[in-house]
Amino acid sequence: MTRRILDHPILGKMEDLDDSNYVSFQFNEVIYQGIENESLAAALLANGIRTLRYHEESGRARGIYCNIGHCYECRVTIDGRPGVRACLTPVKEGMDVVSGKPISSNEGGVSSEAE
Amino acid sequence: MRLNNAIIIGAGPAGLTAAATCAENGMNVLVIDEYMRTGGRLLGQLYEEPDGGWWNGIEESRNLYEKAVELGVEFHLNTPVNNLENEGGVWTIYTEQEIFQTEHLLLATGAAESPIPIPGWTLPGVMSVGAAQVMTNVHRVQPGDRGIIIGVNVLSAAIAMELSLANIEVVSLALPEKNLITQESANPKEVMKSLLHVSHMAPSKFARWGSRLMKNSFMQTLGVNFYPKSGVKMWNIPVQLRKAVTEIYGDDKVEGVKLATINAKGEIVPGSEENITLDFVCIAGGLYPLAELAAVAGCPFYLVEELGGYVPLHNERMETPLQGLYVAGNITGIEGAKVAASQGRTAGLSMVCHATENQLEDEINYSMEQTSKTREEAHIQFHPEIDKGRTKILNQWKSYHLEE
Amino acid sequence: MNKDELIICRCEEVNYQTLRDTAHKYQCTSRELKLRTRAGMGYCGGRSCRLMVDKIANSNEGEQDLTYISLKYQPPVRPIKFEDLGGDKN
Repeated sequence: MTRRILDHPILGKMEDLDDSNYVSFQFNEVIYQGIENESLAAALLANGIRTLRYHEESGRARGIYCNIGHCYECRVTIDGRPGVRACLTPVKEGMDVVSGKPISSNEGGVSSEAE
Repeated sequence: MRLNNAIIIGAGPAGLTAAATCAENGMNVLVIDEYMRTGGRLLGQLYEEPDGGWWNGIEESRNLYEKAVELGVEFHLNTPVNNLENEGGVWTIYTEQEIFQTEHLLLATGAAESPIPIPGWTLPGVMSVGAAQVMTNVHRVQPGDRGIIIGVNVLSAAIAMELSLANIEVVSLALPEKNLITQESANPKEVMKSLLHVSHMAPSKFARWGSRLMKNSFMQTLGVNFYPKSGVKMWNIPVQLRKAVTEIYGDDKVEGVKLATINAKGEIVPGSEENITLDFVCIAGGLYPLAELAAVAGCPFYLVEELGGYVPLHNERMETPLQGLYVAGNITGIEGAKVAASQGRTAGLSMVCHATENQLEDEINYSMEQTSKTREEAHIQFHPEIDKGRTKILNQWKSYHLEE
Repeated sequence: MNKDELIICRCEEVNYQTLRDTAHKYQCTSRELKLRTRAGMGYCGGRSCRLMVDKIANSNEGEQDLTYISLKYQPPVRPIKFEDLGGDKN
């Protein structure tokens, strides 16, 4: 289980945090709470969720890796838009998040590097 | 389509300082970053300064950002840049949302983490050591209850200390298993040597870095004993140069690692593997300059190991051979945030010089001197021979211009 | 999880064995190794694995040209969704 670090010996308490800062969002049809505008990756981890998607071909579970947008491992579908990086997305009230699943064709429709 | 005097890609210490420098000299400046906050890698940094105060990356970032905003700098965050093009001296910057143009473009895109592949490293719960740092210090969410760091270097040692500050258990800093990719990072002797390189700062500087938490004798013990199997403790975390992680296991998330004893060459001692139960693993392969935008812009490159990899060709004024293209910060070589900020100031002044009638020779020379001074005084140095690397790139700059 | 399969390219799940065997069989450059195995051609554009692919290929190659990036960068450096290529649709 992962936890929030509400108090830190050097960084202190998390700034002005009260109930009004929390929003509800949905991940794979379950409702969770997160702090408004924190990254979706952080909000999910704070809820104990590590698996954000399943590899398109092998179906193996994947979670955050770099946490700053470089690796794309944390990509999920948000409000119908696929391939969005959870580590770069601020959590908002009512956000609908779905994790990628193994599929036969490329769901994201990605024009990536090709040589 | 938007036209700005100056556009800066990357809102870390280099980009923010350059932005303020351009703005205070009358340019209208736009800063673009794909992250949701400004500060870049500076955000996660937290260490004790020689004077006993704490370097708090969040506060430092906030100060730089607020200064830039006061000077009228505009920010587009959450804005990934896909491509750059130059036509007739005008740079066009393609982002996911909008297209921007400028004649003066600074790339301050920082660094990415080098991976170390370990069997099982795609399991959820395995993350780069920088990811754990950001989760802990910026988002204030624990990456897990109990973890291990694979890869022993200056960055991983600093972050291990930060994790333990936040009460997260780190059972060990250990090496990866040796293969074609891990090479030096899997060789106890090489790792030891690289740590001893840092010891030119020890026992004074290296020991001061986190002195309250670190046993002063750490570096001495490192040098004297080769090498206790249980490791040498640093901030109560065993640094185990004679242990390698051979596998990360778990069904659909990390459940533990197999840790084996290795000989001085990094070879596994047969039958020495033991299972260690954990819920997260950090991979610490070091940093390399993230220079992909300079590459698509057509900038010449040079491979300088001391700077962390391929860096865009540049001079001390932070100009590249391409007109109107500047670089600053870790894209020019892996160093600390203070050096990056200082380079950002030089880059900003160069941009002002080219964009306006202002002659800023004295300021530029002073800023270049400050960068060298900051480098000398840095108490966390990522590469022991950074000066040699800087000289290499400047020599390459000169020979490139002789060939022209 | 089995120990024999060490993934190098996380996006395309190309493993160490495949890369090493291909590099050995064809004595190829990083670029050819990438094209033959798809390592570095996935979602992240090779940001995670390019250094590793280089290292495996370079174990074949002699002197490295310091001025030449063996695995060329090509735009877009971030994947673009097809819906975004057509401009404003919503």
